Amino acid sequence: MKNIYSSFLSILFAFTAILFLTTCKKESQNGFVHLHFNHAVGTEELVLNNAWYPCAAGHLFSVVRLKYYTSNFSMHRSDGTAFQVNEAHYRDAETPETESFTLKDVPNGEYTGLSFILGLDEAANVDGGLPNTTTNINMEWPLPGDQGYHYMKLEGKYDSLSTGVLRNFNLHTGATGGNQNYVEISLLFHHPMRLNGDTWNISLAMDLEEWLEHPHVYDFDAFEPTIMGNQDAQQALKENGADVFSVTSVERE
Amino acid sequence: MKPALFYLIFFGILSGLLGCKKDHVENVPPGQDWTYDPTPFEIKAPASFPILNIPVGNPTTVEGVKLGRMLYYDPVLHSDSLRACASCHSQERSFTSDPPVLPHVNLAWNTSFLWNGKVEGALEDIMLFEVKEFFKTDLEKLQNHQDYPKLFYEAFGARTITHELCAKALSQFQRTLISGKSKYDRVLEGTNWVFLTDEELNGFDIFFTEKGDCFHCHGGILFTDNSFHNNALDASPEPARSAITSNPADVGKFKSPTLRNIELTGPYMHDGRYETLEEVVDFYSEGLKTSETVDPLMKSLHLGGKHLTTQEKSDLIAFLKSLTDTAFIADTALASPFH
Repeated sequence: MKNIYSSFLSILFAFTAILFLTTCKKESQNGFVHLHFNHAVGTEELVLNNAWYPCAAGHLFSVVRLKYYTSNFSMHRSDGTAFQVNEAHYRDAETPETESFTLKDVPNGEYTGLSFILGLDEAANVDGGLPNTTTNINMEWPLPGDQGYHYMKLEGKYDSLSTGVLRNFNLHTGATGGNQNYVEISLLFHHPMRLNGDTWNISLAMDLEEWLEHPHVYDFDAFEPTIMGNQDAQQALKENGADVFSVTSVERE
Repeated sequence: MKPALFYLIFFGILSGLLGCKKDHVENVPPGQDWTYDPTPFEIKAPASFPILNIPVGNPTTVEGVKLGRMLYYDPVLHSDSLRACASCHSQERSFTSDPPVLPHVNLAWNTSFLWNGKVEGALEDIMLFEVKEFFKTDLEKLQNHQDYPKLFYEAFGARTITHELCAKALSQFQRTLISGKSKYDRVLEGTNWVFLTDEELNGFDIFFTEKGDCFHCHGGILFTDNSFHNNALDASPEPARSAITSNPADVGKFKSPTLRNIELTGPYMHDGRYETLEEVVDFYSEGLKTSETVDPLMKSLHLGGKHLTTQEKSDLIAFLKSLTDTAFIADTALASPFH
Protein backbone atom coordinates (compact mmCIF):
# COMPACT_ATOMS: atom_id res chain seq x y z
CA MET A 1 0.00 0.00 0.00
CA LYS A 2 2.82 2.28 0.96
CA ASN A 3 4.53 1.38 -2.33
CA ILE A 4 1.50 2.25 -4.40
CA TYR A 5 1.17 5.48 -2.50
CA SER A 6 4.80 6.46 -3.06
CA SER A 7 4.74 5.57 -6.77
CA PHE A 8 1.52 7.59 -7.09
CA LEU A 9 3.35 10.48 -5.46
CA SER A 10 6.33 10.19 -7.79
CA ILE A 11 4.08 10.05 -10.84
CA LEU A 12 2.23 13.11 -9.57
CA PHE A 13 5.57 14.82 -8.99
CA ALA A 14 6.89 13.90 -12.44
CA PHE A 15 3.66 15.08 -14.04
CA THR A 16 3.80 18.40 -12.20
CA ALA A 17 7.44 18.80 -13.16
CA ILE A 18 6.68 18.15 -16.82
CA LEU A 19 3.77 20.56 -16.69
CA PHE A 20 5.99 23.13 -14.99
CA LEU A 21 8.83 22.68 -17.46
CA THR A 22 6.61 22.90 -20.52
CA THR A 23 4.92 25.99 -19.12
CA CYS A 24 8.35 27.52 -18.54
CA LYS A 25 9.42 26.68 -22.04
CA LYS A 26 6.32 28.29 -23.45
CA GLU A 27 7.29 31.50 -21.69
CA SER A 28 10.63 31.64 -23.56
CA GLN A 29 8.94 31.77 -26.94
CA ASN A 30 11.88 32.98 -28.98
CA GLY A 31 15.24 31.67 -30.02
CA PHE A 32 18.44 32.67 -31.75
CA VAL A 33 19.70 31.90 -35.24
CA HIS A 34 23.39 32.39 -36.03
CA LEU A 35 24.07 32.79 -39.75
CA HIS A 36 27.63 31.79 -40.68
CA PHE A 37 29.16 33.18 -43.86
CA ASN A 38 31.85 30.94 -45.34
CA HIS A 39 33.54 31.02 -48.74
CA ALA A 40 34.54 28.36 -51.23
CA VAL A 41 35.78 28.02 -54.75
CA GLY A 42 34.04 24.97 -56.20
CA THR A 43 34.54 22.23 -53.65
CA GLU A 44 37.54 23.87 -51.95
CA GLU A 45 37.47 26.26 -49.03
CA LEU A 46 38.66 29.72 -50.11
CA VAL A 47 42.30 30.48 -49.30
CA LEU A 48 43.35 34.12 -49.76
CA ASN A 49 46.56 34.98 -51.62
CA ASN A 50 48.55 32.53 -53.71
CA ALA A 51 45.94 29.79 -54.08
CA TRP A 52 45.07 29.53 -57.75
CA TYR A 53 41.67 28.42 -59.01
CA PRO A 54 40.35 27.77 -62.51
CA CYS A 55 37.32 29.70 -63.77
CA ALA A 56 34.83 29.14 -66.59
CA ALA A 57 36.52 31.62 -68.94
CA GLY A 58 39.72 29.57 -68.70
CA HIS A 59 41.83 31.81 -66.48
CA LEU A 60 43.53 30.84 -63.27
CA PHE A 61 42.65 33.33 -60.57
CA SER A 62 43.73 34.13 -57.04
CA VAL A 63 41.77 36.08 -54.44
CA VAL A 64 43.33 38.82 -52.31
CA ARG A 65 40.26 40.40 -50.70
CA LEU A 66 36.58 39.64 -50.24
CA LYS A 67 34.31 42.08 -48.43
CA TYR A 68 30.56 42.39 -48.80
CA TYR A 69 27.24 43.32 -47.25
CA THR A 70 24.21 41.12 -46.80
CA SER A 71 20.97 42.62 -45.52
CA ASN A 72 17.18 42.31 -45.14
CA PHE A 73 17.10 38.79 -43.74
CA SER A 74 13.82 36.84 -43.80
CA MET A 75 13.28 33.48 -42.11
CA HIS A 76 10.38 31.83 -43.94
CA ARG A 77 7.82 29.59 -42.17
CA SER A 78 5.94 26.67 -43.68
CA ASP A 79 2.66 28.63 -43.36
CA GLY A 80 3.94 31.28 -45.76
CA THR A 81 4.68 33.92 -43.11
CA ALA A 82 8.17 35.21 -42.38
CA PHE A 83 10.29 36.73 -39.62
CA GLN A 84 12.26 39.72 -40.91
CA VAL A 85 15.39 41.54 -39.75
CA ASN A 86 16.18 44.62 -41.83
CA GLU A 87 19.78 45.07 -40.76
CA ALA A 88 22.97 44.93 -42.80
CA HIS A 89 25.85 42.59 -42.02
CA TYR A 90 29.42 43.37 -43.17
CA ARG A 91 31.62 40.39 -43.91
CA ASP A 92 35.36 40.56 -44.52
CA ALA A 93 36.91 37.17 -45.35
CA GLU A 94 40.09 38.30 -43.58
CA THR A 95 38.33 39.16 -40.31
CA PRO A 96 37.01 36.17 -38.32
CA GLU A 97 34.88 38.47 -36.10
CA THR A 98 32.64 39.17 -39.10
CA GLU A 99 31.99 35.47 -39.79
CA SER A 100 28.53 35.32 -38.29
CA PHE A 101 25.40 37.42 -37.91
CA THR A 102 22.85 36.67 -35.21
CA LEU A 103 19.11 36.91 -35.70
CA LYS A 104 17.78 37.57 -32.19
CA ASP A 105 14.33 36.95 -30.79
CA VAL A 106 13.30 34.59 -33.58
CA PRO A 107 9.73 33.36 -32.80
CA ASN A 108 9.16 29.64 -32.35
CA GLY A 109 7.98 27.87 -35.44
CA GLU A 110 8.83 25.65 -38.36
CA TYR A 111 11.15 27.39 -40.81
CA THR A 112 11.70 26.10 -44.31
CA GLY A 113 14.08 28.64 -45.76
CA LEU A 114 15.99 31.90 -45.64
CA SER A 115 16.16 34.86 -47.99
CA PHE A 116 18.32 37.97 -47.93
CA ILE A 117 19.89 40.61 -50.12
CA LEU A 118 23.50 40.49 -51.22
CA GLY A 119 24.18 44.21 -51.10
CA LEU A 120 21.82 46.87 -49.79
CA ASP A 121 18.30 47.90 -50.73
CA GLU A 122 17.26 51.34 -52.03
CA ALA A 123 16.64 52.69 -48.53
CA ALA A 124 20.03 51.72 -47.10
CA ASN A 125 22.12 52.33 -50.22
CA VAL A 126 22.26 56.11 -50.01
CA ASP A 127 25.11 58.32 -48.84
CA GLY A 128 25.16 58.02 -45.05
CA GLY A 129 22.61 55.18 -45.16
CA LEU A 130 24.72 53.01 -42.84
CA PRO A 131 26.22 54.02 -39.47
CA ASN A 132 29.23 56.33 -39.85
CA THR A 133 31.93 53.79 -38.96
CA THR A 134 35.36 53.58 -40.57
CA THR A 135 34.40 50.17 -41.99
CA ASN A 136 31.31 51.52 -43.73
CA ILE A 137 33.19 54.61 -44.92
CA ASN A 138 35.77 52.34 -46.53
CA MET A 139 32.95 50.69 -48.47
CA GLU A 140 31.58 53.99 -49.84
CA TRP A 141 30.74 54.20 -53.55
CA PRO A 142 31.72 57.79 -54.22
CA LEU A 143 31.24 57.97 -58.00
CA PRO A 144 29.80 61.40 -58.82
CA GLY A 145 26.10 60.93 -59.60
CA ASP A 146 25.83 57.58 -57.77
CA GLN A 147 24.99 56.89 -54.13
CA GLY A 148 25.71 54.53 -51.29
CA TYR A 149 28.23 51.76 -50.81
CA HIS A 150 30.09 48.98 -52.57
CA TYR A 151 27.95 45.85 -52.18
CA MET A 152 30.99 43.66 -52.69
CA LYS A 153 34.72 44.02 -53.21
CA LEU A 154 36.11 40.79 -54.64
CA GLU A 155 39.69 41.55 -55.62
CA GLY A 156 42.54 39.48 -56.93
CA LYS A 157 44.75 38.52 -59.83
CA TYR A 158 44.35 36.36 -62.87
CA ASP A 159 46.47 34.80 -65.54
CA SER A 160 45.55 36.66 -68.69
CA LEU A 161 45.60 34.05 -71.45
CA SER A 162 45.80 36.61 -74.22
CA THR A 163 48.88 38.37 -72.89
CA GLY A 164 50.40 35.65 -70.73
CA VAL A 165 50.98 38.07 -67.84
CA LEU A 166 49.28 38.45 -64.50
CA ARG A 167 46.60 41.11 -64.34
CA ASN A 168 44.40 42.44 -61.58
CA PHE A 169 40.66 42.03 -61.31
CA ASN A 170 38.26 43.92 -59.08
CA LEU A 171 34.66 42.76 -58.92
CA HIS A 172 33.29 45.89 -57.27
CA THR A 173 29.53 45.71 -57.33
CA GLY A 174 27.08 48.46 -56.46
CA ALA A 175 24.38 50.75 -57.77
CA THR A 176 25.27 52.84 -60.79
CA GLY A 177 23.42 54.97 -63.31
CA GLY A 178 20.13 54.44 -61.45
CA ASN A 179 20.39 50.63 -61.49
CA GLN A 180 20.22 49.18 -57.98
CA ASN A 181 21.99 45.91 -58.88
CA TYR A 182 21.59 44.20 -55.51
CA VAL A 183 21.10 40.45 -55.61
CA GLU A 184 18.13 38.67 -54.04
CA ILE A 185 19.14 35.34 -52.52
CA SER A 186 16.55 32.64 -51.67
CA LEU A 187 17.63 29.42 -49.99
CA LEU A 188 15.54 26.39 -49.01
CA PHE A 189 16.61 24.22 -46.09
CA HIS A 190 16.99 20.48 -46.77
CA HIS A 191 14.82 19.76 -43.73
CA PRO A 192 12.51 22.14 -41.88
CA MET A 193 14.10 23.87 -38.91
CA ARG A 194 11.89 23.55 -35.83
CA LEU A 195 12.84 26.42 -33.60
CA ASN A 196 11.53 26.11 -30.07
CA GLY A 197 13.16 28.68 -27.82
CA ASP A 198 16.58 27.30 -28.71
CA THR A 199 19.62 28.36 -30.71
CA TRP A 200 20.36 27.26 -34.27
CA ASN A 201 23.38 27.61 -36.54
CA ILE A 202 22.87 28.00 -40.27
CA SER A 203 26.06 27.72 -42.30
CA LEU A 204 26.13 29.35 -45.71
CA ALA A 205 28.81 29.09 -48.36
CA MET A 206 29.50 31.60 -51.11
CA ASP A 207 31.03 29.76 -54.06
CA LEU A 208 33.22 32.30 -55.88
CA GLU A 209 33.19 30.18 -59.04
CA GLU A 210 29.48 30.96 -59.36
CA TRP A 211 30.23 34.66 -59.85
CA LEU A 212 32.08 33.74 -63.00
CA GLU A 213 30.08 31.04 -64.78
CA HIS A 214 26.30 30.99 -64.56
CA PRO A 215 24.29 32.17 -66.43
CA HIS A 216 27.07 34.35 -67.89
CA VAL A 217 30.66 33.28 -68.34
CA TYR A 218 32.38 36.31 -66.84
CA ASP A 219 35.70 36.86 -68.60
CA PHE A 220 38.06 39.24 -66.75
CA ASP A 221 39.65 40.04 -70.12
CA ALA A 222 36.33 41.05 -71.69
CA PHE A 223 35.63 43.62 -69.00
CA GLU A 224 38.32 46.09 -68.01
CA PRO A 225 39.41 45.98 -64.35
CA THR A 226 37.34 49.14 -63.83
CA ILE A 227 33.67 48.09 -63.78
CA MET A 228 32.08 50.36 -61.20
CA GLY A 229 30.32 52.45 -63.81
CA ASN A 230 29.92 49.63 -66.34
CA GLN A 231 26.29 48.47 -66.13
CA ASP A 232 26.89 45.53 -68.52
CA ALA A 233 29.40 44.08 -66.09
CA GLN A 234 27.20 44.95 -63.09
CA GLN A 235 24.17 43.28 -64.74
CA ALA A 236 26.15 40.10 -65.52
CA LEU A 237 27.38 39.89 -61.92
CA LYS A 238 23.90 40.60 -60.55
CA GLU A 239 22.50 37.69 -62.55
CA ASN A 240 25.43 35.42 -61.72
CA GLY A 241 25.09 36.33 -58.03
CA ALA A 242 21.64 34.76 -57.61
CA ASP A 243 23.10 31.28 -57.01
CA VAL A 244 26.44 32.03 -55.34
CA PHE A 245 25.13 31.04 -51.89
CA SER A 246 24.10 27.61 -50.68
CA VAL A 247 23.12 26.22 -47.30
CA THR A 248 25.74 23.78 -46.04
CA SER A 249 24.17 22.92 -42.69
CA VAL A 250 21.29 23.75 -40.36
CA GLU A 251 21.96 22.53 -36.84
CA ARG A 252 20.58 22.98 -33.35
CA GLU A 253 23.24 24.18 -30.91
CA MET B 1 46.13 89.91 31.03
CA LYS B 2 49.05 88.56 33.02
CA PRO B 3 52.16 87.95 30.91
CA ALA B 4 52.45 84.35 32.13
CA LEU B 5 48.93 83.54 31.03
CA PHE B 6 49.50 85.39 27.74
CA TYR B 7 52.60 83.35 26.95
CA LEU B 8 50.84 80.18 27.93
CA ILE B 9 47.98 80.87 25.53
CA PHE B 10 50.35 82.11 22.84
CA PHE B 11 52.57 79.04 22.96
CA GLY B 12 49.57 76.82 23.25
CA ILE B 13 48.08 78.14 20.02
CA LEU B 14 51.46 78.15 18.29
CA SER B 15 52.25 74.56 19.21
CA GLY B 16 48.74 73.58 18.25
CA LEU B 17 49.23 75.17 14.83
CA LEU B 18 52.66 73.67 14.37
CA GLY B 19 51.36 70.32 15.45
CA CYS B 20 48.57 70.50 12.93
CA LYS B 21 50.93 71.55 10.21
CA LYS B 22 53.33 68.76 11.04
CA ASP B 23 50.57 66.16 10.94
CA HIS B 24 49.42 67.45 7.57
CA VAL B 25 52.89 67.29 6.08
CA GLU B 26 53.35 63.75 7.31
CA ASN B 27 50.08 62.52 5.80
CA VAL B 28 50.46 64.13 2.40
CA PRO B 29 53.97 64.24 0.94
CA PRO B 30 54.97 66.89 -1.64
CA GLY B 31 52.04 68.64 -3.19
CA GLN B 32 49.67 69.45 -0.38
CA ASP B 33 47.93 71.90 -2.71
CA TRP B 34 47.32 69.24 -5.39
CA THR B 35 43.76 68.41 -6.31
CA TYR B 36 42.36 65.66 -8.47
CA ASP B 37 39.11 66.88 -9.96
CA PRO B 38 39.51 66.58 -13.74
CA THR B 39 37.20 68.48 -16.08
CA PRO B 40 35.81 66.50 -19.06
CA PHE B 41 37.18 67.71 -22.42
CA GLU B 42 34.84 67.68 -25.39
CA ILE B 43 36.49 66.55 -28.61
CA LYS B 44 35.04 68.54 -31.49
CA ALA B 45 35.19 66.68 -34.81
CA PRO B 46 33.28 67.53 -37.98
CA ALA B 47 29.89 65.80 -38.18
CA SER B 48 31.03 63.99 -41.31
CA PHE B 49 33.82 62.21 -39.41
CA PRO B 50 33.33 58.59 -38.28
CA ILE B 51 32.11 57.66 -34.82
CA LEU B 52 35.03 58.11 -32.42
CA ASN B 53 35.74 55.28 -29.99
CA ILE B 54 37.60 56.43 -26.88
CA PRO B 55 38.86 53.67 -24.55
CA VAL B 56 36.82 53.58 -21.32
CA GLY B 57 39.99 53.65 -19.22
CA ASN B 58 41.18 56.98 -20.60
CA PRO B 59 38.43 59.59 -20.78
CA THR B 60 39.60 62.89 -22.26
CA THR B 61 40.02 65.67 -19.69
CA VAL B 62 41.27 69.26 -19.80
CA GLU B 63 44.08 68.27 -17.40
CA GLY B 64 45.03 65.19 -19.45
CA VAL B 65 45.16 67.09 -22.74
CA LYS B 66 47.24 69.86 -21.13
CA LEU B 67 49.73 67.33 -19.75
CA GLY B 68 49.83 65.41 -23.04
CA ARG B 69 50.56 68.59 -24.95
CA MET B 70 53.47 69.42 -22.63
CA LEU B 71 54.92 65.92 -22.92
CA TYR B 72 54.55 66.06 -26.73
CA TYR B 73 56.72 69.17 -26.91
CA ASP B 74 59.14 68.41 -24.06
CA PRO B 75 62.46 66.59 -24.77
CA VAL B 76 62.39 65.41 -21.16
CA LEU B 77 60.31 62.53 -22.46
CA HIS B 78 63.26 61.12 -24.44
CA SER B 79 65.99 59.29 -22.58
CA ASP B 80 68.55 61.49 -24.40
CA SER B 81 66.62 64.67 -23.47
CA LEU B 82 67.34 66.03 -26.95
CA ARG B 83 64.25 65.06 -28.91
CA ALA B 84 60.54 65.52 -28.33
CA CYS B 85 57.64 64.02 -30.31
CA ALA B 86 57.34 67.41 -31.97
CA SER B 87 60.93 67.21 -33.26
CA CYS B 88 59.76 64.81 -36.00
CA HIS B 89 56.12 65.91 -35.98
CA SER B 90 56.10 69.64 -36.50
CA GLN B 91 52.84 71.51 -36.66
CA GLU B 92 53.71 73.68 -39.67
CA ARG B 93 54.21 70.48 -41.70
CA SER B 94 50.95 68.97 -40.46
CA PHE B 95 52.81 67.04 -37.77
CA THR B 96 55.29 65.22 -39.96
CA SER B 97 58.88 65.89 -41.11
CA ASP B 98 61.62 64.94 -43.53
CA PRO B 99 62.44 62.01 -43.61
CA PRO B 100 58.76 61.21 -43.62
CA VAL B 101 57.05 59.88 -40.54
CA LEU B 102 53.31 59.32 -40.74
CA PRO B 103 51.62 62.61 -39.89
CA HIS B 104 49.85 62.93 -36.55
CA VAL B 105 46.55 63.90 -38.14
CA ASN B 106 43.20 62.38 -37.18
CA LEU B 107 45.04 59.43 -35.60
CA ALA B 108 42.14 59.04 -33.16
CA TRP B 109 40.33 57.06 -35.88
CA ASN B 110 43.27 54.73 -36.59
CA THR B 111 43.58 51.18 -35.41
CA SER B 112 47.04 50.39 -36.78
CA PHE B 113 50.14 52.52 -36.56
CA LEU B 114 53.54 53.08 -38.19
CA TRP B 115 54.32 52.44 -41.87
CA ASN B 116 54.41 48.67 -41.40
CA GLY B 117 51.60 48.47 -38.84
CA LYS B 118 53.92 47.26 -36.11
CA VAL B 119 51.49 48.42 -33.42
CA GLU B 120 47.77 47.73 -33.54
CA GLY B 121 45.01 48.82 -31.22
CA ALA B 122 44.19 52.23 -29.80
CA LEU B 123 46.29 55.40 -29.52
CA GLU B 124 47.20 54.29 -26.00
CA ASP B 125 48.94 51.23 -27.47
CA ILE B 126 51.09 53.15 -29.95
CA MET B 127 51.88 55.88 -27.42
CA LEU B 128 52.99 53.26 -24.89
CA PHE B 129 55.28 51.80 -27.55
CA GLU B 130 56.72 55.25 -28.31
CA VAL B 131 57.30 56.12 -24.65
CA LYS B 132 58.59 52.78 -23.43
CA GLU B 133 60.45 51.34 -26.40
CA PHE B 134 61.24 54.21 -28.78
CA PHE B 135 61.93 57.11 -26.39
CA LYS B 136 62.84 54.85 -23.42
CA THR B 137 61.41 57.53 -21.18
CA ASP B 138 63.27 57.89 -17.89
CA LEU B 139 60.50 57.97 -15.30
CA GLU B 140 62.89 59.20 -12.56
CA LYS B 141 63.42 62.41 -14.51
CA LEU B 142 59.69 63.03 -14.68
CA GLN B 143 59.12 62.01 -11.05
CA ASN B 144 61.83 64.46 -9.87
CA HIS B 145 60.72 67.24 -12.20
CA GLN B 146 59.41 70.43 -10.58
CA ASP B 147 56.12 70.47 -12.53
CA TYR B 148 55.20 67.01 -13.81
CA PRO B 149 54.32 65.16 -10.56
CA LYS B 150 51.60 67.75 -9.86
CA LEU B 151 50.32 67.67 -13.46
CA PHE B 152 50.11 63.87 -13.44
CA TYR B 153 48.21 64.01 -10.15
CA GLU B 154 45.78 66.57 -11.54
CA ALA B 155 45.21 64.50 -14.68
CA PHE B 156 45.09 61.00 -13.22
CA GLY B 157 45.02 61.24 -9.41
CA ALA B 158 48.27 59.26 -9.32
CA ARG B 159 51.43 60.10 -7.41
CA THR B 160 53.62 57.62 -9.22
CA ILE B 161 54.38 58.43 -12.85
CA THR B 162 54.35 55.40 -15.16
CA HIS B 163 54.91 54.80 -18.86
CA GLU B 164 51.21 53.93 -19.10
CA LEU B 165 50.18 57.32 -17.71
CA CYS B 166 52.54 59.12 -20.12
CA ALA B 167 50.90 57.17 -22.96
CA LYS B 168 47.43 58.06 -21.72
CA ALA B 169 48.22 61.77 -21.56
CA LEU B 170 49.85 61.76 -25.01
CA SER B 171 46.82 59.89 -26.42
CA GLN B 172 44.47 62.51 -25.01
CA PHE B 173 46.41 65.28 -26.73
CA GLN B 174 46.65 63.25 -29.95
CA ARG B 175 42.85 62.97 -30.02
CA THR B 176 42.69 66.74 -30.33
CA LEU B 177 44.91 66.77 -33.45
CA ILE B 178 41.89 66.89 -35.76
CA SER B 179 42.13 68.32 -39.23
CA GLY B 180 38.72 68.92 -40.76
CA LYS B 181 38.57 72.57 -41.78
CA SER B 182 40.07 72.50 -45.26
CA LYS B 183 38.45 74.23 -48.20
CA TYR B 184 37.09 70.84 -49.25
CA ASP B 185 35.40 70.44 -45.83
CA ARG B 186 33.83 73.88 -46.12
CA VAL B 187 32.49 73.00 -49.57
CA LEU B 188 31.03 69.74 -48.18
CA GLU B 189 29.39 71.67 -45.37
CA GLY B 190 27.80 73.99 -47.92
CA THR B 191 29.53 77.16 -46.73
CA ASN B 192 28.36 80.19 -48.68
CA TRP B 193 30.71 81.47 -51.36
CA VAL B 194 33.13 78.57 -50.94
CA PHE B 195 33.27 76.28 -53.96
CA LEU B 196 35.72 74.11 -55.86
CA THR B 197 37.19 75.69 -59.00
CA ASP B 198 36.66 73.93 -62.34
CA GLU B 199 40.17 72.48 -62.05
CA GLU B 200 39.60 71.25 -58.47
CA LEU B 201 36.23 69.80 -59.45
CA ASN B 202 37.76 67.93 -62.35
CA GLY B 203 40.47 66.70 -59.97
CA PHE B 204 37.74 65.58 -57.56
CA ASP B 205 36.15 63.51 -60.37
CA ILE B 206 39.50 61.93 -61.23
CA PHE B 207 40.14 61.19 -57.55
CA PHE B 208 36.72 59.69 -56.78
CA THR B 209 36.19 57.67 -59.98
CA GLU B 210 38.17 54.82 -61.48
CA LYS B 211 39.76 57.40 -63.79
CA GLY B 212 42.38 58.12 -61.15
CA ASP B 213 41.06 55.59 -58.62
CA CYS B 214 42.77 57.24 -55.67
CA PHE B 215 39.78 56.73 -53.39
CA HIS B 216 39.94 52.99 -52.82
CA CYS B 217 43.01 53.49 -50.60
CA HIS B 218 42.85 57.21 -49.80
CA GLY B 219 39.08 57.66 -49.75
CA GLY B 220 36.38 58.48 -47.27
CA ILE B 221 36.30 61.60 -45.18
CA LEU B 222 39.65 60.70 -43.55
CA PHE B 223 41.36 60.20 -46.94
CA THR B 224 42.90 56.91 -45.85
CA ASP B 225 41.54 53.37 -45.56
CA ASN B 226 43.89 52.68 -42.61
CA SER B 227 45.04 49.58 -44.45
CA PHE B 228 48.19 48.28 -46.10
CA HIS B 229 49.00 48.08 -49.79
CA ASN B 230 51.86 47.43 -52.17
CA ASN B 231 51.35 50.38 -54.51
CA ALA B 232 53.74 49.08 -57.20
CA LEU B 233 56.59 51.32 -56.09
CA ASP B 234 59.44 48.87 -56.72
CA ALA B 235 60.18 45.80 -58.84
CA SER B 236 61.93 44.29 -55.78
CA PRO B 237 59.86 45.60 -52.90
CA GLU B 238 61.05 45.95 -49.30
CA PRO B 239 59.78 43.42 -46.72
CA ALA B 240 57.59 46.22 -45.28
CA ARG B 241 54.59 44.76 -43.41
CA SER B 242 55.80 41.18 -43.92
CA ALA B 243 58.58 41.94 -41.41
CA ILE B 244 55.81 42.19 -38.80
CA THR B 245 53.38 39.50 -39.97
CA SER B 246 55.86 37.00 -41.50
CA ASN B 247 53.28 36.65 -44.28
CA PRO B 248 54.93 36.68 -47.74
CA ALA B 249 51.71 38.23 -49.10
CA ASP B 250 52.57 41.37 -47.10
CA VAL B 251 55.88 42.07 -48.84
CA GLY B 252 55.98 45.68 -50.05
CA LYS B 253 52.84 46.69 -48.16
CA PHE B 254 52.88 50.00 -46.33
CA LYS B 255 50.12 51.89 -44.61
CA SER B 256 48.04 54.29 -46.71
CA PRO B 257 48.79 57.73 -45.27
CA THR B 258 46.01 60.29 -45.05
CA LEU B 259 46.01 62.78 -47.92
CA ARG B 260 44.71 65.56 -45.69
CA ASN B 261 47.30 68.37 -45.77
CA ILE B 262 49.28 66.38 -48.34
CA GLU B 263 50.54 69.68 -49.76
CA LEU B 264 52.43 70.21 -46.47
CA THR B 265 53.72 66.71 -45.75
CA GLY B 266 56.34 66.08 -48.43
CA PRO B 267 58.64 64.44 -49.26
CA TYR B 268 56.41 61.55 -50.24
CA MET B 269 56.22 57.74 -49.93
CA HIS B 270 57.51 55.87 -46.87
CA ASP B 271 61.11 56.68 -47.81
CA GLY B 272 60.56 60.22 -49.03
CA ARG B 273 61.76 59.41 -52.54
CA TYR B 274 59.50 61.99 -54.21
CA GLU B 275 59.96 65.66 -53.43
CA THR B 276 56.83 67.00 -55.07
CA LEU B 277 53.21 66.05 -55.65
CA GLU B 278 53.92 66.26 -59.39
CA GLU B 279 56.45 63.43 -59.05
CA VAL B 280 53.95 61.38 -57.05
CA VAL B 281 51.20 61.80 -59.65
CA ASP B 282 53.68 60.99 -62.44
CA PHE B 283 54.51 57.76 -60.62
CA TYR B 284 50.85 56.68 -60.39
CA SER B 285 50.32 57.74 -63.98
CA GLU B 286 53.31 56.13 -65.69
CA GLY B 287 55.72 54.63 -63.17
CA LEU B 288 54.11 51.48 -61.73
CA LYS B 289 56.41 48.49 -61.31
CA THR B 290 55.18 44.92 -61.22
CA SER B 291 55.98 42.60 -58.36
CA GLU B 292 54.18 39.61 -56.89
CA THR B 293 52.32 41.36 -54.13
CA VAL B 294 51.16 44.50 -55.96
CA ASP B 295 47.65 45.31 -54.77
CA PRO B 296 44.79 44.31 -57.10
CA LEU B 297 43.54 47.88 -56.63
CA MET B 298 46.40 49.01 -58.87
CA LYS B 299 44.00 48.30 -61.70
CA SER B 300 46.20 49.73 -64.45
CA LEU B 301 49.33 47.87 -63.38
CA HIS B 302 49.55 46.05 -66.72
CA LEU B 303 49.61 49.45 -68.45
CA GLY B 304 52.20 50.91 -66.07
CA GLY B 305 49.71 53.37 -64.63
CA LYS B 306 46.66 55.53 -65.24
CA HIS B 307 48.18 57.58 -68.07
CA LEU B 308 46.60 60.88 -67.13
CA THR B 309 47.06 63.89 -69.39
CA THR B 310 49.09 66.89 -68.24
CA GLN B 311 45.85 68.78 -67.60
CA GLU B 312 44.35 65.88 -65.64
CA LYS B 313 47.48 65.65 -63.49
CA SER B 314 47.43 69.33 -62.62
CA ASP B 315 43.67 69.21 -61.93
CA LEU B 316 44.19 66.26 -59.59
CA ILE B 317 46.90 68.17 -57.72
CA ALA B 318 44.63 71.23 -57.53
CA PHE B 319 42.03 69.05 -55.82
CA LEU B 320 44.62 67.58 -53.43
CA LYS B 321 45.58 71.10 -52.41
CA SER B 322 41.96 71.80 -51.46
CA LEU B 323 42.60 69.37 -48.57
CA THR B 324 45.05 71.78 -46.93
CA ASP B 325 43.82 72.93 -43.53
CA THR B 326 45.58 76.18 -42.66
CA ALA B 327 43.52 76.62 -39.48
CA PHE B 328 44.93 73.31 -38.22
CA ILE B 329 48.57 74.26 -38.61
CA ALA B 330 47.89 77.69 -37.07
CA ASP B 331 45.83 76.39 -34.12
CA THR B 332 47.55 77.72 -31.00
CA ALA B 333 45.87 75.06 -28.83
CA LEU B 334 47.95 72.48 -30.69
CA ALA B 335 51.20 74.47 -30.63
CA SER B 336 54.05 74.20 -28.15
CA PRO B 337 53.06 75.33 -24.63
CA PHE B 338 56.68 76.38 -23.98
CA HIS B 339 57.60 79.86 -25.09
